[in-house]
This record gives sequence, structure tokens and C-alpha cells, in this order.
Amino acid sequence: MLGDWSTDILQHDPMRIYRAKRDAARRTVTSKYNIIGFISSGTYGRVYKAQSLDDEGKIHAIKKFKPDKEGDVVTYTGISQSAIREIALNREIDHENIVALKEVILEDKSIYMVFEYAEHDFLQVIHHHSQTLRSPISTAFLKSLIYQLFNGLVYLHSCHILHRDLKPANILITSSGVVKIGDLGLARLIYEPLQPLFAGDKVVVTIWYRAPELLMGAKHYNKAIDCWAVGCVMAELASLRPIFKGEEAKLDSKKNVPFQRDQLLKIFEVLGTPDEKDWPGVVDMPEYQNMKRLDPFSNRLSDWCQSRIRTPSGYELLRELFAYDPDNRLTAKDALQHKWFYEDPKPTWNAFQSVPAHQIPPHRRITQDEAPSMMPQPAQNTSHQASFASLSGGGPYGQATGGNGTHAPSRKKARMH
Amino acid sequence: MATDFWASSHYKRWLVDRATLKQARADDLQYVDDPDYLDFLAIYFANVISKLGKKLQLRQRAIATATVFFRRFYLKNSYCETDPFIVISACCYVAAKAEESPIHIKNIVAESRSLFSQENYGIKHFPSDHTKLAEMEFYLVDDLECDLTVFHPYRTLLSLCRKEAADTASLFGSEEGEADEAGVGISGDDGPRYWGTGEGQLELSEGALQTVWFIINDTYRSDLCLLHPPHIIAIAALYLTFILHQPTRDTILPQIAAQNHPNHQPETPQESTPQPRRSSRQANHHHTAVEPPKKPQDPITFLAELNVSLPLVATVAQEIISLYTLWDRYKEDAGPDAPRSSKDAANSPFSGSTGGGGAGSGSVRGSVSPAKRSVTGSSRSASNAGTPMDVGEEPVEGWNEEEYVTPVMLSALLLRMRESRLADMSHPASGRPVAVNKMLERTQAAG
Ligand SMILES: Nc1ncnc2c1ncn2[C@@H]1O[C@H](COP(=O)(O)OP(=O)(O)OP(=O)(O)O)[C@@H](O)[C@H]1O
Repeated sequence: MLGDWSTDILQHDPMRIYRAKRDAARRTVTSKYNIIGFISSGTYGRVYKAQSLDDEGKIHAIKKFKPDKEGDVVTYTGISQSAIREIALNREIDHENIVALKEVILEDKSIYMVFEYAEHDFLQVIHHHSQTLRSPISTAFLKSLIYQLFNGLVYLHSCHILHRDLKPANILITSSGVVKIGDLGLARLIYEPLQPLFAGDKVVVTIWYRAPELLMGAKHYNKAIDCWAVGCVMAELASLRPIFKGEEAKLDSKKNVPFQRDQLLKIFEVLGTPDEKDWPGVVDMPEYQNMKRLDPFSNRLSDWCQSRIRTPSGYELLRELFAYDPDNRLTAKDALQHKWFYEDPKPTWNAFQSVPAHQIPPHRRITQDEAPSMMPQPAQNTSHQASFASLSGGGPYGQATGGNGTHAPSRKKARMH
Repeated sequence: MATDFWASSHYKRWLVDRATLKQARADDLQYVDDPDYLDFLAIYFANVISKLGKKLQLRQRAIATATVFFRRFYLKNSYCETDPFIVISACCYVAAKAEESPIHIKNIVAESRSLFSQENYGIKHFPSDHTKLAEMEFYLVDDLECDLTVFHPYRTLLSLCRKEAADTASLFGSEEGEADEAGVGISGDDGPRYWGTGEGQLELSEGALQTVWFIINDTYRSDLCLLHPPHIIAIAALYLTFILHQPTRDTILPQIAAQNHPNHQPETPQESTPQPRRSSRQANHHHTAVEPPKKPQDPITFLAELNVSLPLVATVAQEIISLYTLWDRYKEDAGPDAPRSSKDAANSPFSGSTGGGGAGSGSVRGSVSPAKRSVTGSSRSASNAGTPMDVGEEPVEGWNEEEYVTPVMLSALLLRMRESRLADMSHPASGRPVAVNKMLERTQAAG
């Protein structure tokens, strides 16, 4: 009674009708956005600058997650944990100082996250001051940046989210001077985790911003790791170079996390070697014996701050953020109340308010050559063709992509990262 | 967000009314004789998810999340037009990631194939190619609108209640992770919104807590997670535990009696026939000599003082009872001679075996049900027939013992639904809308 076609659907591709419906309804990235150019590629994907075609022509940053690869064929091994995290968390949060996710588009094997656009980031500000202006960041500007950063972090922490990858490149600033924490790809909910955080990701936080408890091999960690990272970011803005610029010891072949000797030394050189008085828990740290073999140092943070932070309260803030004992480290919430922020010059909601126009960092650089490679198919394809083409063969994932030669070279390049 | 349900996607986008649910099943309804079958399918699918989840060693919360994903997916889709089995696998796959306990796709494919090929499901064609599952994941995440953070009643339970002994035990201790973040005493941030009085946590015996936990597990067999906020479901489960479930009542009531303020006596353990819950007052004289302790903890008062709508809690409790009534006509094992309660007993917290090493995946079905039949055939009046909430009037009346709904039946039904749907779609004479046929022609041409 059922035709071959029906039997075939039931037995071999039962979701065919479902997909056809969905594909027909789906709006493509290029039907909604005009891709202006390529911004950058990160660990997990590539970021493009795009203009919305409907929404008053607003500018956005579109992050395209790298599709997975098996050998040379782009295929599906499932959405990465990092993408799931970033999507799941971003869908729930909403705060002035966190980069807002506008929408997620799932199209032709790729995930596109559409974010509000931020013209600058902390790293770029640092470069601008060290390379172009060759002068330090003013206290008013510095304070506004750090204050807003803490303001966003308080929100994340109140949501029980650890960012776990705070560093200058991930902290953005809009052209109107609003700080936006970005890249939640490593962020995690720590509310009632089903397994210890340690079990999930062995290494978190870029080495220069990594808190001592992580470097010492702690199995448990908490919000304090983000506050340490903010301390590092603040010091870097003040001095225009990373304060603890250590060499990362790489994972060995068995993926064991090695002792991060150099990074710890860089920290000890400024903050002194921690003792039980500063940090009672240090003796229980897995790397304690390794640490004891290092040469002892004494704390000279005060000297370090003399020429760079310039005010006693600024030094105080940094000192409290660099508390060795995570339980004694200043929380983001308490940081917002810190004296430093209540002294003149006070922080401003437009961080650029006090910055002379000629000192404002330049616009984000974008390149053109990569832009066309974003989409597997030009948008001009009729949508029906595009959608229903996927019904042939083994569906959209059964075919090797890239058979179409038009954009082949640049696409290949696009996936090399 | 993690603490603020009211700002969550769950609250803002994924609680629907009954009319929406009905609409979502409208197509499926055309292919079943009796609407009850759709509710049986809801039980059936939840059981499949639970089984697959256990094979994958997912924690109960991840299984619950997978189930919620499944329900949300079928708010937008029909059973008869999809393959619920691959959807189930994809739900487990995504839920494992969303709950930060990822599982390799190859394991999911392997476990799905082995589970679904069992006789009672009869799925011979689950794809071995994992890209098919990855493809389904992609569409699933899209249909879920990327809202992957789900709230569960378990959390409310852990916030509201505390086990008598201070030490953390298997069931609850295992949900704790980072010491300073989870813990049982998490009444902090999200408390005041709905447990206003600041009474603190309610102390319950391990057995009672387990019962609530298991009732919560059971609620995933229905669409309750789409209809009500999780804290209401938790409180309804708590409520049922207090007033409906005999063994729990027996355990908690002496303790209440010993602690209670004279004005808040609940019914005595001796009352085997359920009474309206304020029948408690009749029993006052039994305990007048008892000194009021410094902190009275009458569970009923505790519930009454929560900042939630008690009528709503009662409604949800009633819906849970209806689920049990329905579920009583459902039988997991096809074997006609199997004593029908034995399996339930193994799941019951009162059987001595807590199953799953405290993984908290048990059910109280069969223990709570007002329509419970005992294996020995003793009269129904001996069990908890009837409830204080007036549900399930003679639910078993006219229901023949031979007419249990089984997975085998439902698997066959599902296949028939899907075949009929396809047949309808490919035969214009059957009056399917033209648009569908157009679409179909295209799929035919393409396929
Ligand atoms: N909203 C945005 N507006 C403008 N540029 C952005 C935006 N988001 C990201 N970018 C740019 O793209 C870069 C990479 O983005 P992102 O950090 O999210 O990706 P990633 O792959 O996680 O990178 P990483 O390797 O730093 O972890 C950023 O450093 C920034 O330069």
C-alpha cells in the first residue's frame, strides 16, 4: 500500500520531509546580512563584519564556527562543546557590559553567531598606546575600562558563570566607549555542575592571565580566577605589556598538565613567593613540592606600581586582586566598591570621554579577500534550489562540499586555520 | 541567569498553555483512535530517553534536560512526520553537552542502535553513520532556538529541603560539585522570589526526599515540563509526598507529631484513607501533651507559607496523579505473565533497593498511584485509592487486565501513524492540502 518512495523515506531517511520543511523556512545569512569584510580568526572560528539588511543597517560581528573535519572532508562530528557553551550561555544573558548575541543562524553545516559589533578591544588599545602614541593610557581611561569590566564580571558571576578566558583580546569596546566582555567559548556555568570543573577542561585561561591556584594544579577553583585575570589585564593596560609574561610549558604526549615553572617565576618575581601565611591552602596544592624548589622572591608589587599605577589606591586594588589565597582575593562585586573608583578622575560610562579625539584607537581593520569565502554558496541562489538540493544524495551531510569550483581557493584558505 | 529563572529562556519562551500543546499534537491526533494514545506515547518516549540516557551513563539531570528538549521539539513537529528515535538520540547528545558531561557521538550511535533494535522498538534502520545524528543535532538545536539551558524541579527541591542528617548522602551529595557553588543550602539568590517567609529549609527524611525526587522524575513522562515552571512542579511533588504517599506519610508524620505546634496537626499515620488535608485538626487531641519545639516544622504549613499559588500547586499535583492513573495502564514488559508490580517495586524507594547507586533515576509509579493494584489482588481500597484531590474516579473501571498498553503496541502504532501520514501525503485524494503535495513533489524530484 505504501509506495517505494514512502518505504524508502521510512527506512532510509525518515527525517527527509522534516528537513525539507525546515530548509524551506530557513533564512540564510546572506539574505539577512551583507558581509563587509573579514575581521579575525580565533581558536574556534572566524569573525566577519556584517551589515544587517533589514535592521536599520546595523553593523554586526558574525562568528562562524569552524566546521569539523575528518581528514580533508568537511563533515559533521557534532557541534563542539565550545559552541554549545557559547550559544547556551549567550542565549540566557543580557547585560550592557557583555557582548550581546543577536541571533544564531544554522545554515549548511555551519553555525553563525551574530553579535553586536564592537569597534575596539583592550589589546588594540594597548597596541595603539605602545606602538603609535608611545604614551601610557591615562588614569581616567584606565579606570573607566576596568570599572566597566568589573561591572560586566559582576553580572557574569552573579549568574554563576565563570568566564575562564579573560584577556585583552576578549574584552571589547564599542565606538561609544562601552566595554563589552566577549568570547564565552570557555565560559561555564558553575551552578550545581554535574561533574567537577576540573574534569571538563584541563587547561583554562591563557597562560599569562592564569591564576596561581590553577598553575599550582588546584582541582577546584572558582570565580577568583577571573578576578586574577582582571588584575593582569589592569596591570597590562597600565604598563602596556603583560605583567607576568611567562613561557607556557606544553602538555606532554600523555596530555598531562606540566608544572608551569616559568609562569610561576614571573609571578613570584613581582609578588614574592607565597607562604602559608598568605595562602594557607598552598601546602596542599599538587605542585607545592615543585614550587618549593624555586628560588625565593620577595614582594615588590609596590615598586612595580610606583611608576605605572601612580596612586596608592590603585596599588591597593591591584594588590587585593593579586591575593594568592583565592578566598582572600577581591571579588568583582567588592572591586566595584573600591576606593580607587571613587577618587578623581572617576570612571565614565563612555570610556573615551576624557580621551582626546586623536588618541582614540583606529577602527578595527577588516580585510576583503576573505569575505567571499564565508558562504559556501552565493546567496543569489534561489532558496528552493538551495534547500531542496540538500535532499539529494545522502542529504546535506552526505556530500563532500567544495565541489563547486568558484570559491574553492579562498575557501580552502579559510579552513586552514 | 543560572539563578534567575524569571530572566531565563525557559520562562520567557518555553512555557506554553494547553491549547498550544493541543495544537502541537493536532496532526498526530488524526492518526490515533483514542487521544489517550498520545499520552501513552509521551510516557513511552520518556522511557526510551531514560533508557538510552542510562546506557550512556548520563546523570538524571541530563536525562531530564534531554526529555525537555524532546518535548520542546515536538511542540513544533509531529510524531507522524518525523522519526522520534533519531530525535531522542540527538536530544541525549545535545543534553549531555548542555549539561557539561559530553559523550562521544560514536557512543551515542552505538548505544542507540543497540537499544532501538530491541524487539519492542523494532527499529532496524537506525543509521550507523554518525553524520546522520550530527545532522539531526543541527536541526534540533535550530528548532530549540538555541535555548539549551533548562531549569529543573530538582534544584528547587534541593533549595527547599534538607535531609535530616547533616551529612550529604548518595542522592543529594552527588549533585554537588564545586564546594562553594553548589551545595544543598543554595537558597541564596533565587529564594525570596518564591519562598518568601524565610522559614528556612524543610527537614525531610532521606526516604521522603527520595520520594519527592522520584515523583519529579516521573513528571517527565508527561508534558508538565512545558506547562509549568519547575519550582511549581517541585512543590507539587513535595505536596504529594506529604499527603498522598502512605509510606512517606508514615515516616514523616511521627516526626511532625513530635514537633508540631498543636494547631497544625496533620492527619495521623493511622488514617489509611486519605482525608482532606486539613483533616489534621480532628486528630489534635492525640498530641496535646507534646511540647512545641523551638522551630516547628509542619510541612503543610511550610508549603502554605511559600510564596506560590497553592491552587496552582494543587492543579499540578492533580495532573501528576492523572499521569499515574494513565501510566497504570501502561506496561513496560511485554510478557503477559510477568507480575506487573515487580518491576515497579524495583524502582520504588521503599523496596530497599534504591537502584542506580543513588543516581536518583527511580520512580514512585505504582507506589503513589491511586489506581494501584497489588500483585496479590487485594482490594483497591487497601491501597491509596482516591486522593484528597478528587482525581481518577474509578480509573481502572472497564479497563481489562489484558489491555495494557505496551511498548510493542506503541512502536507498532507509531509506525502506522508514520505510514498513514506518508500515504496521505502522497495521495491527493485523501484531501491533504495542496501545499504539502507541492512540497512533496519537490522532495520526490530531489530524492
Ligand atoms: N562583537 C565583536 N565585534 C567586533 N569584533 C569582534 C567581536 N567579537 C569578536 N571579534 C573579533 O574577533 C576576534 C575573535 O573572536 P573570539 O574571541 O570570539 O573568537 P575565538 O575563536 O574564541 O578566539 P580566541 O582564540 O581569542 O579564543 C576577537 O579577538 C575580536 O578581534
